[in-house]
Order: sequence, then C-alpha cells, then structure tokens
Amino acid sequence: MTVSLTLSGITAHYGTTKVLEDLDLHVNEGELVSLLGSSGCGKTTTLRLVAGFLEPTTGTIQLGERDLTRLPAHARNIGLVFQTYALFPHLTVRDNVAFGLKQRGIGAAERRKRAETMIDRVGLTDFADRHPANLSGGQRQRVALARALVIEPPLLMFDEPLSNLDAKLRVDMRVEIRRLQQANGTTALYVTHDQEEAFSISDRVAIMNAGKIMQLDTPEVLYSRPANTFVADFVGFENMIPLRAVAEAGDAVRAEMPGGAILTLPKSQFTVPSKDFILATRPEGLLAAQSGEGIPTTLGLRTYLGRAYQYQCDTPAGEVKANGPLAQPFDSGTQAVLIPQPEQCCLLSA
Amino acid sequence: MKTNPFLIAFAVLTFAFLIGPLIIIIGTSLSDTTYLTFPPQGISLRWYENIFEISAFRRTMVTSFLLAVGGTALSMLIGIPAAYAMARYRYELPAILGNIYVLPILIPEIVLGFSLMKSVAVGMDFPIMAALLVGHALLVLPYCVRVVGASLNAFDFSIEEAAVSLGCPRWKAFFTVVLPNVRAGIIAGFILAFITSLNDVSISIFLTGPGVSTLPIQLLAHMEQFFDPTIASVSVLLMFVTVGVMAIVERTLGLTFLTK
Amino acid sequence: MTPRLRAWALSAPALLLVLLFLGLPVLSTLTTTFGDPKGPFSQYAAFFNSRFRMTVLWRTMEVAVITTTISLVVGFMTAWVVARAPSRIKSLLIIAAVFPLLTGVVVRSFAWLIILGKNGILNDTLIWLGVITEPLSMLYTQFSVTIAMVYLFVPLMILTLVGVLEGIPQDLTEAAASLGATPAATFRQVILPMAVPGLIVGSVLVFTGSFTSYATPQLLGGERQMMMGTFLYQRAMVTFDWVGASTIAAVMVVVTLTTVLAMSKLARRLNPVAG
Repeated sequence: MTVSLTLSGITAHYGTTKVLEDLDLHVNEGELVSLLGSSGCGKTTTLRLVAGFLEPTTGTIQLGERDLTRLPAHARNIGLVFQTYALFPHLTVRDNVAFGLKQRGIGAAERRKRAETMIDRVGLTDFADRHPANLSGGQRQRVALARALVIEPPLLMFDEPLSNLDAKLRVDMRVEIRRLQQANGTTALYVTHDQEEAFSISDRVAIMNAGKIMQLDTPEVLYSRPANTFVADFVGFENMIPLRAVAEAGDAVRAEMPGGAILTLPKSQFTVPSKDFILATRPEGLLAAQSGEGIPTTLGLRTYLGRAYQYQCDTPAGEVKANGPLAQPFDSGTQAVLIPQPEQCCLLSA
Repeated sequence: MKTNPFLIAFAVLTFAFLIGPLIIIIGTSLSDTTYLTFPPQGISLRWYENIFEISAFRRTMVTSFLLAVGGTALSMLIGIPAAYAMARYRYELPAILGNIYVLPILIPEIVLGFSLMKSVAVGMDFPIMAALLVGHALLVLPYCVRVVGASLNAFDFSIEEAAVSLGCPRWKAFFTVVLPNVRAGIIAGFILAFITSLNDVSISIFLTGPGVSTLPIQLLAHMEQFFDPTIASVSVLLMFVTVGVMAIVERTLGLTFLTK
Repeated sequence: MTPRLRAWALSAPALLLVLLFLGLPVLSTLTTTFGDPKGPFSQYAAFFNSRFRMTVLWRTMEVAVITTTISLVVGFMTAWVVARAPSRIKSLLIIAAVFPLLTGVVVRSFAWLIILGKNGILNDTLIWLGVITEPLSMLYTQFSVTIAMVYLFVPLMILTLVGVLEGIPQDLTEAAASLGATPAATFRQVILPMAVPGLIVGSVLVFTGSFTSYATPQLLGGERQMMMGTFLYQRAMVTFDWVGASTIAAVMVVVTLTTVLAMSKLARRLNPVAG
C-alpha cells in the first residue's frame, strides 16, 4: 500500500534565516523522486521537514490521506535512511532492524522472523548477531536500509545514503536501493548532491537551489531540455553564449553574438525561444574545426580527455570550452571556428 | 524536542542548591558580628582586614601560593617530557606507563599523605617544605601528564619532523614548534593543578608541621579555635582566586573544555 | 640516541617521582600491616573483629553509597537539562557547575557548618515556618556528613554526565523517532543504555571520592561520626598507632581498587562496542 506525498506552500526558517520559500512538490505513488543540489540548497531541509525534525513556518505536508504537518516525528510512519546510517551501537544487527517493529508492539518471535527475512533480503544473513562497530561501511548501509524497509512504511526517504561509501560500492548500492524500492513499489524521496546518482535511479528529479525547486522533470528532460540557466549549467551546459535574433533566412535563424559574429541556426535543429536568448552548450556541443559555420575564436590551452581534446577558447562572448577530434589536435593560438552541435546544445530565454 | 519542564525546574533547584551555600558564605563574611550569622547583621569589611592581621593567615597564604606554583612547576617540568614521550614514542613505551602517572588519583589521597609522612618526611628525614613540595607535585602530576597529553595526542608530529628536516635540532624544535602548539593543554593543566594544590587538605594535613602550614589547613585550625567570620572572608578570598583562574581559562580556552 | 632510549630518558624523572615517592611509601605502608609479631594477618583480624572499626567501615560505605546514589539521580537529571540547553545558557550552566568544583573542599564543607548549625539558616527557617520550636541539632550526624558530601560531588557528576550525554550522536535519537519511538521510549531504549558506561564512570569517581574523604567528615561528622578518612588521621597523628593507621589505609586501598576494577569490568560488559 503506497501513497503520494504532497508539499504545498512550504516555507521554513532556521531561526531568522529563511531556508525554503513557498515550495510545492508532489511525488506520485510508487515514484522515486530525487532532490538534487549542492550544499545549502535546501534539499536536506525539505527531507527533515517531511520527517518531522523541523516544523514549517507555513504550508502543509500531506502523505496520502494523512496531514503530517503538525504530527510529531515518531507518529509519521516514514522509513528513513540517514547519511551516517545512525545505527544503534549497543544493539545487534537483528535488534537494529527489529527496532521499528518493537515500537509498533510486534511480539518478539514475529519481530525476529521479519527482521531476519529482511536481513536475508539485503544479504547480511551471517551478520545478524554482530554489532555495527564490527561491520564495514557498506554493510552498515544495508542494515540501515533493512531497518527502514522492514516497517513497510508508505514513504521511504534517503538522506545522501551513499556519500560515505567508495565509488564502486556507491554504484552497486544505488542499484540495490532502486531494486528494493521498485519491488515494494514504495514512494520514495531521495536526497543527493551526486547528479549521476540521481539521474540513474530516479523517476523524476527536482534540481534545487537556494530553497527553491528550479526544475522538476524526468532525468531525460533535465539532461537535454533544461528550463533555465541554473539547471542548464548544473547538467553540464557550461558555455552560455548570449545571442540576439537579427534575421530569418529561409529555414534558419540568423543570430548575432557580442562582437558581431553571426550564427546561422537551422530551424529543424534549433527552436529560438525569444529575440534575446542564450545558446547553452556542453563542451562537446561546440566542435572545434578549421573552417565552417560557427563562432570564430582563437584556441587556447589544449587538454587531453581520452575521448577528445578540449580547448579553452577565447571568444567575444567570454571564455568557452570546446572539444575537438582526436584525429586532429590543434596547437594553441590556432584560429578556428566552433560549430554548434545541436544534440549537446539548448536554447534558453535570456 | 523540548525538555520536560519538570526537569528544568529540578535543574534550577539543583543549581540553586549548588550556588546558594556559596552566597551564604559571602553574606556571612560581611556581617558586622563576631559570630557567624546569615543574613548578615550590619555590613562590614573588618573580617577581611582581620585576615591580614593574623600572621598565621599571612604566612600560610604565602606558603600555599609558593607550594602551588612550585609544586605545579615541578610537576610540569617532569610531566611534560613524560607526556611528550608517551605521545611521540607510543610504540617504544609500554602502555602501562600512562597508568603509573595517574596513580596519585587512583590511590586515596589520605593514604598517600600518610605514606608520605611516614616514609618520606620521617623515614627519609625530609625537611617539611621539601616533603610538601614533593607531595603536591605528586598530587598534580596526573593533571600535568593527562591534560598536556591530550593536547599532544591531537598534535600533528609531522610538523616537528618538518622542522628537523629543515635543519632545526630536535631539542630546539620541541621548544619552538611543539610547545607553542600545545599551549592550551599546558595552560589548562597548570590551572587545574594550581587549584588542586591550593585547595588540598588530605596530603597537606599529614605533612604540615610547626611553622609550616597551608591555607586550607590553617583554615581548619582556625575553625576549631575561633569559629568567627574570618573563616568566611578567607573562603571568599579563595573564591575570588577561583574566579580569577576561571577567567583565565575562559579567555584562553573556553570553559566547555572541562566537560571533556 | 635511539628513539627508545630517548623515550625512556624523557619518562624517567616522572617515573622516578612516582615510584620513589608514591610506590615505595605506599608499599611500605601496606607491608607494615603484615609485620605484627602476632602474625601477618593479625592486624586485619583485629580490624574486622573490632565492632568499632567495622562500624566506621560500614558507616563510610553507607555514606558513600547514599552520596553516589543521590549524586547519580540529581546529576543525571540536571545533566540532561544542561546537555539540551541552548548554547549560551549551557555555557552559563557549566560555569555554575564548575565553580563549586574549583572552590576548595574546606570552603564547601564549611558552608554546611553555617547552614546546619544551631543558629544556622536551616534551623532559623524551620522555626520561622513554625515546623519546629527548638533548633534541631543537625551537625555531627550522618545526615550532615551526607548532605555535605552530596554537595561536594554533584558538580562532578553533572560535568561527567554532560560529557556522556553530548557523546550520544543526535542522529540516533532522530533515527529512533523516525522508527516510531516516543521520547520516553527513545530515552529508555537508546539514550540510557548508551549512557550507562559513563554513568558507571561517574559513580566510581563519586564513590571512591566520598569513601576516602577526610575534610568533610572531619568538619561535619567529627568524632561522633568517625569515618575511614578521619579514623586514619586519628590513628596516625593523635594516637601515633602507625600500624593501625596502615591497616586502615590498606582497607581503603582494597575497597577503592576493587570498586574501580569491578566497575570497569561491568562497564566493558555493558557496552560491547566499547565505543
């Protein structure tokens, strides 16, 4: 039995500092939504609000039929996985996992059975009698997971659960988490600062900044069609080139850059949103070539990426990064043209 | 989570219990009577003046101060190298050494005082002041070693190695690189040791003799003989010393250091 | 100079001080007890057979246990409030707890002489309230010694326990709440078990401190309420019975050492993590 989660008009303060402003968020039943952003963006605050460790100044939190807003934390029935795992050091793995069941008044024998089933599910069968101090980081993470899952909550929340693990383990564990979440079909809210992590396992991702959601969409949309410059920059569109549409030339739009250079953008590949707009590109969205239709530039420092060469380029619109083919490395100082590659570009309103 | 108001009330009562008697002493010291009474009847500073008129108090104040400074200095002189050795040469020294330095705390003070009197003052025929010095140095050694040791354990010894690699002789590196960085521990240790020595009774009571006594012991004697407000005023004086010391600690370290 | 040699050279003065002026003298005191011509254990036999001595021992034990228990309860409740206080108030409270600790034992015991005396505040207040008509004789009783002891040791317990409570990570209480534990359940199932080792340490400190105390029993108990500390002094400096005094000392050492060792073992067993 799983439910949807709705936050409406949430404003939150730490003391006198406003950390969230008029936040709205709806997570559908069975969906895994990630809150993605760097430190201080408000993602953890949002999670703590839903968990009940912080009270909102205004707004409501609705979980299915229940209004959680004024409920104390221990009455909310949400499964939480903490960044630090927060395992009880004085309890065995089994007792840790069974803790939530104990609070719900479930008898000892039944507790033991359910806890052990869940411990098997996360692959820690032989460790049931150990104490957290005698477990590795990855094992502790799995205990934390088991402990949150065993109470069969209508909502799961993850607070940067993988940030203390090494890279390989992180990848394995996020798959595991997604698998478990989908198997139960439990609605989940996932907080992380790791873009790849969020994009790989989420149904939708909310990119946050300064207490606001900048865009909430599927990873595919966020990756290729960011709605604003913040999100664009976040997902890798490092170059921001301001342009002004000056003429239409048949099936293309001609736009002028600062410095006078004109770019011709075919309508089949680019949809110009407004007269003044920004061409946002990834480094691979600008192809460095000796000749062609594009941004004239002088190539600067060349670095080797393995899959391509990357050039720091000086243009009238500022410094941009562009990639060039492995077959043809250019020297610093070469005059070149940067040709926009549509799949790695997007146009944003200025 | 908010704290239970009943508990808060209880805590308030506890702190009143802790501070109240001290306030009573202050009040008693100001009383213009020859007997101890609270609330004070009439306000007068005569019992403070009286302290300095009694030669026994004058002498013992000096003695206590000298003992505290001397005993602590001696203890630091031998304690800091010992603490340094334990932190720096952790693998060359047996761990039990740390427990040995702490023995003065594990052995009941009164047993230590008695044993010192029996074996050192009498058995080794030590002059009184020397025996007292040794006794107090022993008393405060655990503070010197442990508190400084805590600072040293947090110290990154690679700084010392860097100094040596740059040409600084090891002994000089100790004074110019190590010591300044464990200043906090040394000050804290010194303060705790100083106060402990100043207030000590259980060791001093066995080692004091004709003509040589410490302030707390003199206070006890005065209480038996006179039982007048001078006791209260001396107590207040001691409290002032404590406040002064705490102010120094607060200035250099911050007081929450003491919950560790 | 090799590192090992250097390490020992630096440690030597401190070691010598302790071994020469603590180790040998205390050992000498202990061995004196075995030197009675009537037999090596005759002193102990005399001790445990003497009604007076056993009274002193039991009285000291009783006062120590009561002091420890009261300090534990009062200290824990107070430490709880202090640990959760907002930081500005917390600093003030810690200062308020430290200040009595740094004030000497003589001053702090003397305070109770004033309070509990025939003309003291307690009697005055009780008479004023109409509870009694004649002042009570409260000094030189087990009550006066105990209350002065509690006064002496509560600050120590508070500071120890604040440290213990602050050592319990915040996210554990949050995790417990998220799993459905009410504040009371969290306290019982998470906080208390984790605080127990620290509670034991605090209790040992208070017990051994009060058991071996001298100044407080001397001032507030006098000869009527002889306790181990005052008894030792009396045997040593008044009666000059050094062998007897050594025996008392030996009993003190055994009691305190046993307590420390037993409690350490208990603490280690109750906390398998040894965090």
